[in-house]
Amino acid sequence: MDSVPLSDRTASAPGSKPPLPVKIVIAGGFGVGKTTTVGAISDIAPLTTEAEMTEVAVGIDIPGQHSTKTTTTVAMDFGSVAIDAGVKLYLFGTPGQSRFGFMWDDLARGALGALVVVDSSRLDDCYPAVDYFEHTGIPFIVGVNAFDGLLAQDLAAVRWALAIDDQVPVVAFDARDRRSVRDTLLVLLNRALHKAIGEQVAAT
Amino acid sequence: MRILGGSDAEEPASIRPYLKASSLSPSGDTPNKASNVGSEASGAQLRPFVLTSGRVTADPEIGLETQVTAGSRGGRVPTSRLSPELRAIVTLCAQPISVAEISARLKLHLGVVKILVGDLRATGYLDVHNHDVSSPNSPELILRVIRGLSAIV
Repeated sequence: MDSVPLSDRTASAPGSKPPLPVKIVIAGGFGVGKTTTVGAISDIAPLTTEAEMTEVAVGIDIPGQHSTKTTTTVAMDFGSVAIDAGVKLYLFGTPGQSRFGFMWDDLARGALGALVVVDSSRLDDCYPAVDYFEHTGIPFIVGVNAFDGLLAQDLAAVRWALAIDDQVPVVAFDARDRRSVRDTLLVLLNRALHKAIGEQVAAT
Repeated sequence: MRILGGSDAEEPASIRPYLKASSLSPSGDTPNKASNVGSEASGAQLRPFVLTSGRVTADPEIGLETQVTAGSRGGRVPTSRLSPELRAIVTLCAQPISVAEISARLKLHLGVVKILVGDLRATGYLDVHNHDVSSPNSPELILRVIRGLSAIV
């Protein structure tokens, strides 16, 4: 991650118009393939940003009070995709722990939707994420990462085990494969589109 | 500050004294009394609250994906009077960049970056391009993303 040489920076006009940023949250438990998912489609190698629990404690803890949580680090991997000349899509991968509540709200605010990545052999990892997105009303789908093309359980069993709404798509995908990730994100975006159109109709 | 070692080389070779900015950022003082916040953050050279002068509240309008660019002063006015962290942020913002990317590239906590970016906006070094995230995403925008993503092969 070397920074761009100065000559390259000055080549493009400073103050060039920034793109309109949109974002999708990639959620799930540890080791389910979130970073792989981001890396498969991102234009840049995934970057990692770290926030200590002090970050999470912003707005929650009373200032000045002693906190014992400051050494816990939340690492977030993210990438981006240039959609067109004016829109840039950010993909934020986030750990699935419910105790990082503040982090999630910050992350999810304004998101187009969320992809909850699931390892079909460890379904319980994704419950906090499913709960969170059901609760906040953010459009989401469940993507079962098919490690080596194998699913430990079929999709109907995953849907049953997670007890999610019939309208929430559950798809199998390969987190390593660019097209597979693209198609999975398109399923999510179509879900988000239906929801947005529905809200627009309801508002008129 | 290991992570900022390269920033000096990116400064203009010599800055005439009379061109130097006279104003300091608001985060000038280092509060020592705030040391009851907690144990030292692992991996960071300076405790986050030192970099932010003890402040923990960032502008809620500044999100992870919020785009930041060099402001009216950022391109020309020397940043040599700024702290190394602030100078590094201004240098990165020569091209539009997201808050999350600033955090990742400078290895600074997200919360710290948000506060420092807010400071740099207040002093005119940076422009922060807020978008109205409170309104739901429009079908037109989602369709635009679908079209763009579909074009990926």
